Amino acid sequence: MTETRDRILFVLAAVCAVLLVVDFYKIFMILPDEANQGAIYRIVYVHVPSIFTGFTGFFVALAASGLYLATGKLKYDAFAAAVTEVSLAFATIVLATGMIWGRIIWGIWWAWDARLTTMLVCWLIYAGYLMLRRAIDEPTQRAKLSAVVSIFGCVDILIVWKSIEWWRTQHPAPVLSIREGGGMGRGMEGPIYWNWLAFMCLAAILVMVRTRQEQRSREIDSLRRMAHSY
Amino acid sequence: MIDARNFTYMFYGFAAAFVILVVYVVSLALRERKLIHEIDRVRRMVEREK
Amino acid sequence: MSSFLRASYTIAAKDLRSEMRTKEAFNASFAFSLVILVLFSFAFDPSSEELRTISGGLLWLVFSFAGALVLNRSFARELQNDCLDALVSSPVPASAIFLGKTLANFLLLMIVEIAALAVFAVLYDTHFSKQFWPVVLVILLGTWGMTVIGTMFSALTVNLRMREMMLPTLVYPLLIPALMAAMTLTSDLMSGTPLGGDNMIWLRVLAGFDFIYTVLAVVFIDIVLVG
Repeated sequence: MTETRDRILFVLAAVCAVLLVVDFYKIFMILPDEANQGAIYRIVYVHVPSIFTGFTGFFVALAASGLYLATGKLKYDAFAAAVTEVSLAFATIVLATGMIWGRIIWGIWWAWDARLTTMLVCWLIYAGYLMLRRAIDEPTQRAKLSAVVSIFGCVDILIVWKSIEWWRTQHPAPVLSIREGGGMGRGMEGPIYWNWLAFMCLAAILVMVRTRQEQRSREIDSLRRMAHSY
Repeated sequence: MIDARNFTYMFYGFAAAFVILVVYVVSLALRERKLIHEIDRVRRMVEREK
Repeated sequence: MSSFLRASYTIAAKDLRSEMRTKEAFNASFAFSLVILVLFSFAFDPSSEELRTISGGLLWLVFSFAGALVLNRSFARELQNDCLDALVSSPVPASAIFLGKTLANFLLLMIVEIAALAVFAVLYDTHFSKQFWPVVLVILLGTWGMTVIGTMFSALTVNLRMREMMLPTLVYPLLIPALMAAMTLTSDLMSGTPLGGDNMIWLRVLAGFDFIYTVLAVVFIDIVLVG
C-alpha cells in the first residue's frame, strides 16, 4: 500500500518538476514583455494557476465534506481538512502575488477586484474552518461541525463571486488581467494552464502527505485513549 | 524608470509565492516528524501498560 | 405542520420572555450601538456629504457588532441547568428550535436596530423620509440574513472551548456578501437614490442570501444540534 503511494508521490513530483522547469524557462526566456505592463505581468503565471488550484481545492473540500456527512467515514473528513489547508496556502499565494501586482499596476496595494475579494473571503472562511478544527477534540463532532462550516463557506464564496461579477459587468473596476487588451498574445496563454497542472500536482502531493498526517494524528488519539484505559 | 521597479516587484512576487510554499512544506515536514515521534511514544506506552 | 409552527412559536416566546425579564443582551446591545454611533460622530463631520456615502457602512457595522452580542447568547443561555440537553432530547424537531430562536433573535435585533436607526438619523442629520420603506425593507432582509447565520453558528459553537471568539470568527466572513449588499443599498438610499436599476443587483443578492441560508440552516441544524 505504501509502495504504490510512494510511487504515486514520486511520479507527481517528477511531472510537477518537469512542468515547472519548462514553464519557467518559457516565462523568463522566451516570452517578451507585455506592451502595457512591462515585466510584472509574468506574475500572472503564478497568480492565476494558484487561483484555479485554490478554487478547485474548495470544490473538492466541499465534495469531501458532503461525502463525510453522507457516509460517516472519517477518512473523508481527514481528506477535507487536508485539502482545505493546502488550498489556504494557495489562497495566500494568490493574495500576496495579487497585492504585489496591484501595487505596480494600480499604485495601490488593494482594490475590490472580483478575484481578490473572493479570495480574501475564501481565505477568511478557510482560516476559520482550520481554527474551528483546533477547538474541537472529539473526532466525530469535529468532523460533523467542520463539514457544515465547509458547506456554508462554499456557498458563501459562490455568492460573493457571483454578486461581484454582476456588479462588475455594470461598473467596470480594476481587473488584474491582461485579457482586457483584447486577448493575450499567441503562446502567452499556454503556460498558465501548464502551470495550473503543475500546481495541481504539487497540491496533490501536499494533500496526500497532509491527509496521512491527519489520519496518523487520529490514530495517536485513539492509542492514547487505549493506553489510559488500561 | 518604470522598468527597474517593475523587475524588482516581479522578483518580489515570485519570491513571495516561493516563500509561502516553502514555509508550508517545511511546516508539513516538521509536523510529520513530530507525529512519528508521538506515535512511537504512545505505542511504547501502550506496550508498557499491557 | 401546525405543531411544528406552534413549537417554534413557543420557543420564540420563551426566549423573548426570558430576555425581556433581564434585558441583559438587549441593554448591552443598545448601549454598544449608542457608544459606537456617538464615537463615530466625533470621528467624522456629521454634516458632510461624504458621510452619506459611508452612512450605510457605518450603520451596518453598528448593527453587526450589536447583533453579535445578542446572537452569542442565543444558544449559550441554554447551557445552564442542562437546558440545551433537555431541548435537544425533547420531541421538538431541531429545525423548530432553530426557527423559534431565529425569530426571537430577529425581533430583538430589529428593536435594537430601529432604536439605533433613530439615534443615527438624529446624530447624523440624515433625511431619508422619501426612502423610508425601502430602508426598512433592506434592514429587514439584512437582519434576517445576519440572524439566520448567527443563530446557526451560535448552535454550532455552543459547546466549544473558545465560543466567544469562534462565533465572530466564523460568522463575519460568511456575512460579507449580505453586509456588502446591505451597506451599498443603505448608503444609496440614504443619499436619496431610489431602489431600482443598479441597486436591484444587491437587493437580489440579499434576498437570495436570505433564502439560501435559511434553507441550508434548517437542513443542517439537526446535524449540528443533535449530532
